[in-house]
Amino acid sequence: MTANPFACLARRRFLRYSLAGFALLVGGGTGGLLGLRGCAQDHLGLRALSAQDFRTLSALAEAILPAGNGFPKGARELLLPEAFDHFLADEPEFVASDLRMALTLVEFGPVWFSGRAATFSHLPAQKRLALFLAWSQSERLLLRQVTLAFRKFFCLVFYDHEEVWPHIGYDGPSAKRVLR
Amino acid sequence: MAAHRLRRAKRKAGAAMNAGTPGRGGVFDVSSPGLGAGESLPGKVKWCVIGSGPAGATVARALAKAGQEVVVLEEGPDRQGEKLTQRDGEMYDQLYMGRGGRTTSDLSMSVLGGRVLGGGSVINACDVVPIHRSVLRVWQKQFGLSEYSAEALAEDEQAALADLSVNRPDKSTLNRNNALLLSGCERLGFRSEIMQHNRVGCVGLGTCFLGCPASAKRNARTVQIPQAVADGVRFFVRARAKRIEPMGKKRHLVTVRALDERGYHETREFVIEAEQVILAAGAIPTGELLLRSGLAKGHAGRRFLLQPQLPIAAFFAEPVRCFSGIPQSVAVTEFENLEDATHGFWGFRIESIGGTPGIVSTMLPTVGPEGQTHMQRYAHLAGALLLHPDAPSDTSRLEVERNGRLLIHYTLSAEQKQRLRQSVDAAVRLFLAAGAQEVVVPMPPGLVFRELSDLPKLARLAFEPATVPLISAHQMGTARMGPSAKTAACSPSGELYDAPGVFVFDSSLFPSSPSSHIMAPVLTIAHHLSRRLLSRTV
Repeated sequence: MTANPFACLARRRFLRYSLAGFALLVGGGTGGLLGLRGCAQDHLGLRALSAQDFRTLSALAEAILPAGNGFPKGARELLLPEAFDHFLADEPEFVASDLRMALTLVEFGPVWFSGRAATFSHLPAQKRLALFLAWSQSERLLLRQVTLAFRKFFCLVFYDHEEVWPHIGYDGPSAKRVLR
Repeated sequence: MAAHRLRRAKRKAGAAMNAGTPGRGGVFDVSSPGLGAGESLPGKVKWCVIGSGPAGATVARALAKAGQEVVVLEEGPDRQGEKLTQRDGEMYDQLYMGRGGRTTSDLSMSVLGGRVLGGGSVINACDVVPIHRSVLRVWQKQFGLSEYSAEALAEDEQAALADLSVNRPDKSTLNRNNALLLSGCERLGFRSEIMQHNRVGCVGLGTCFLGCPASAKRNARTVQIPQAVADGVRFFVRARAKRIEPMGKKRHLVTVRALDERGYHETREFVIEAEQVILAAGAIPTGELLLRSGLAKGHAGRRFLLQPQLPIAAFFAEPVRCFSGIPQSVAVTEFENLEDATHGFWGFRIESIGGTPGIVSTMLPTVGPEGQTHMQRYAHLAGALLLHPDAPSDTSRLEVERNGRLLIHYTLSAEQKQRLRQSVDAAVRLFLAAGAQEVVVPMPPGLVFRELSDLPKLARLAFEPATVPLISAHQMGTARMGPSAKTAACSPSGELYDAPGVFVFDSSLFPSSPSSHIMAPVLTIAHHLSRRLLSRTV
């Protein structure tokens, strides 16, 4: 159903950051960080992601493709996080695990990289977007990679949605009209 | 060991491992259990071709015409007519390698390739640019390919162009996106051309990159494959070749995994015993298969070429509707150097580009309300693609990890970054001359040019990894040909030096960029190699 922009995420780099993250968790107090993240509500029908990861993903989708600004529905209302979960379920395990790590990075990114006292999904939408945009221009390659990968997926699927077309001046697939 | 595996596979597959129905051609979907009444998987064949794009379909057709028994394996599905839905999500998922998401290992560049019956020719832009004569001189002089002269290839090029029904669109058919680029050229005095293409009866649906529901492309699916089927070739789709094991010069085992209906998961394995094997799956999959098979040691997947492309967008006051009509017709050739002493073909080229909203949105610089504002002007957007010929580099390397993941290592050189900046400079000037309100380079948060005095902003384009959405549509050189096993994977006839009876026929063979678009070069070389093969086989 959707393209896979994540096939070659640099696994070793993720592992390195995960180890750093683990050290931070230990050093900074595992309980404290997990407490910041809190518990996510269960979401029925998930095939590849945990409830925690799904919450991060939904927060991300809402920040980068919000409702409003001429778009009555945003990525969240068009169920793009669910589409991402379904997409991931049909990917090789190494891709799925990389993406789960990427979501962990996004969730704790505000704490690890920006010194904030809240995890990503607890930030207001505007701050989430500001952070995402800052990461897309970061000196850290990993942060640029993470933003690029999620941006590609969400944009491709969002603007392929027929409910979005009236708001961008696209009249949809032409074959049925032209070949009628 | 391999013989034991073959026996075991035969036992597992039982009756399904019969030799099939030699002489009866067709397209068979191995994702369907049982293949349909009376059909069976191939067991022992004379020729096994891996990949059904221009190269694979051409050699399969040539062999069958000469009375040879041929099966072709294709990992993708067979999609034509209404099954080509013109939807970004579904078509990138179904027609492209890696569900459209294959990238270099640092995520800097999307690496696009076809995964469908007919291969890349089903989803390309139909541009026909034959091999430059100057490149052939470089191939002869620098790479020792003395047989590859313009004269020696003349007959093959003619055959390739005939397959493509090559023609040049009339200026009156240009959509506004292309017309704007042309008008920019006229105002600045830049050399340009309307490109030759392989469309016949085009109705301007505008979604060439997602396949043509009107079947107006004269490509492998509409030309070579029907002819090959008529001559008895059996095409097996949703069949992924996993490994080739040479058992002698005239015996090779090809391990194949059948995929599920959507092509996501491997469902069962079968083994084909082939006298000879021809790899024509496209440069990246061919290089990957060689690595998985332990063939072309020391050469497979090294020093390949990606020919990087950069998309940029321009916004106009009047509607452009880049999604309607032929997406890519005009090429700015002012900056191409066809007499480059080292490469034969160098510099860069600018072409117009249009597309469906999903893919266009991924080529814009930002997200959030600002990104949405850009897309609200989608109908006013004109696109250009900046194409850069490539040269082999020691930093280019394919790697297959233990878990099965393919890594495509590729790094832009300082010279490439400089050429990229030059091409952006030229494209900005062109669009501004054509009347653009603003030109946007997709580097977050967006590099916007509204007048010529903005050009110094170009200095900010460092082309660090994962900053701009680079694209590769023309991969080459993962199993280069050359006169010696010391310097090349394959002989000039395409045969692997370390595995006689295994051939490579696709762009993996190219030692350098033959032209700005590789369909015509691939077809020309496939005709040439088929002719050489038949002269010694039949």
